[in-house]
Amino acid sequence: MPIAKRGGWRLEIALVLLLAALTLLSLMVGPAGLTPRAALGGLFGGEGPAGIIVREIRLPRTLLALMMGATLGLSGAALQGLLRNPLAEPALFGAPQAAAAAASFVIAFGFASAISLVVPLAGIAGALVSIGGLVAIAGRRATLTVTLLAGLAFASFAGAMTALVLNLAPNPYAALEIAFWLLGSLEDRSTDHLLLGAPFFVASWFLLAANARSYRALTLGEDAAASLGVDLPRVRLMVVIGVAIGVGAAVAIAGSIGFVGLVAPHLVRRAVGSDPARVLLPGALAGAALLLAADIAVRAIPAADELRVGVVTALIGVPFFLAMIFTERRELEGAPS
Amino acid sequence: MNAPVSGSLRAAGLSVRLGGRLIVDGATLELRAGELTALIGPNGAGKTTLVRALAGLLPAEGRIELAGRPLAALSARERARHIAYLPQGHVFHWPMAVAAVVALGRHPHADTFAPLADADRAAIERALVATASLAFAARPVTTLSGGERARVALARALASEAPIMLADEPTVSLDPRHQLVVMDLLVRAAHGGGAVLAIVHDLTLAARFADRVVVMDRGRLVADGAPREVLTPARIAEVFGVDAAIVESEVGPIPILRKPL
Repeated sequence: MPIAKRGGWRLEIALVLLLAALTLLSLMVGPAGLTPRAALGGLFGGEGPAGIIVREIRLPRTLLALMMGATLGLSGAALQGLLRNPLAEPALFGAPQAAAAAASFVIAFGFASAISLVVPLAGIAGALVSIGGLVAIAGRRATLTVTLLAGLAFASFAGAMTALVLNLAPNPYAALEIAFWLLGSLEDRSTDHLLLGAPFFVASWFLLAANARSYRALTLGEDAAASLGVDLPRVRLMVVIGVAIGVGAAVAIAGSIGFVGLVAPHLVRRAVGSDPARVLLPGALAGAALLLAADIAVRAIPAADELRVGVVTALIGVPFFLAMIFTERRELEGAPS
Repeated sequence: MNAPVSGSLRAAGLSVRLGGRLIVDGATLELRAGELTALIGPNGAGKTTLVRALAGLLPAEGRIELAGRPLAALSARERARHIAYLPQGHVFHWPMAVAAVVALGRHPHADTFAPLADADRAAIERALVATASLAFAARPVTTLSGGERARVALARALASEAPIMLADEPTVSLDPRHQLVVMDLLVRAAHGGGAVLAIVHDLTLAARFADRVVVMDRGRLVADGAPREVLTPARIAEVFGVDAAIVESEVGPIPILRKPL
């Protein structure tokens, strides 16, 4: 029977096991190294310093990394499906840049230190404003080209605003703080950050996953998808908003974390037969694994100041990506651009 | 056919404006079950726009009725179950397996999270068999030749088992053998009870395979009838600007194109 049933859940199970292992590792690694037993003891109600370190410092940071990584991976997979373009990534519509600009503003002018909750709140507000503006200007029934162009304009404007803030920062320390913040970090992020971001992440997951079948139909192009009953303007709006609130919240909380959204879907795409709907879940899991692995690496690598996770995601992601391109280049060449 | 509706799509006084320009001007035509209709006309006549409007993909003035009901009153999903649309070019954006691509034809029939039902599987397999695509059903669609891709695209449209099929240049850039294969598949879809409209540029193919030929010129439908009545040297000269002769052959009357006028 050539019409195969769904190819089982082996990939997803393998990724979940990987995430479990990385989670344990993440609870162990830090300035005070813990054994697996001590980490698990601390997690499940252990008293003393281990319990405090694991439950109040490492667990929120780990959960944030998992949720943010999943959001980035899912956003990338959804956008690549919507745009039928393997190069699509979450920064496309300007929301992350707007979040970064708004966050930079509040840091620069002393409203908050880089780890206060005011920063993510401002970032989320920035992302929402940019996406509201994008939808208002491009219109609810806009074509893809119009949406992309308007998104590009918003992204460029937000980028310029960030540069302007750096330029006008009242003192060099503020500028330095912003520059470091922009590189992305999960250091010192707490349960408060987790609780602030979680609703946005979960809402974005629903918006992006609800259109899974539409991404698959779009394999045939927009006209054919529409003829199959896909409501393109609605799908586009849901994806733009889903990416904006999810990735906007991620950037607002942890700064810019590049590459996860672009790479994660590609790491699993082949294993799901390039199906743009089937790639969503493993893409999200791979994104979570990539970001958590990067955050563990950041803590494990000895450095005077903690390395920035946004730097490490690229350092980890690029070799994976290049290896994948190398092994699949023949197939990639055969695919239409 | 799993749809209880008879295949009949009727357009009356259909006009489409794109960017302020009148592309389709008052088109009236009916697609009947059991007929393959060839839509012919020079480049820029508005054929693709007319077909997209008939598929419900473009806002249009005038009336379109599907089995007596206004097309606009149908939900997108309901419309998709009744009209299969095959766009130009046979484009596939991801290297998905052929069977998975053909399964997209079942999109309007399936629920969001439900796996394919047995009826869906049966329809997919029928479409693969009809188009002789079963042999490469597991291959990535991007690795196929142009002719194979055209068959897969057609299989996808057939798999929806919609009573009406609208195909935009299904034979374009195919070798002679595949042109015949594709036309033969369209004939079979029509004579099996479907109403099929295909934009065709090759007048010989239109003359040989179509039950009816509709001629479009500068936005208007200027002729509609049996190939023998419609494809006359005078009309070919007027619409296409080509000096032609009609030659009787063993497969029927065939236009021979001599030179541009």
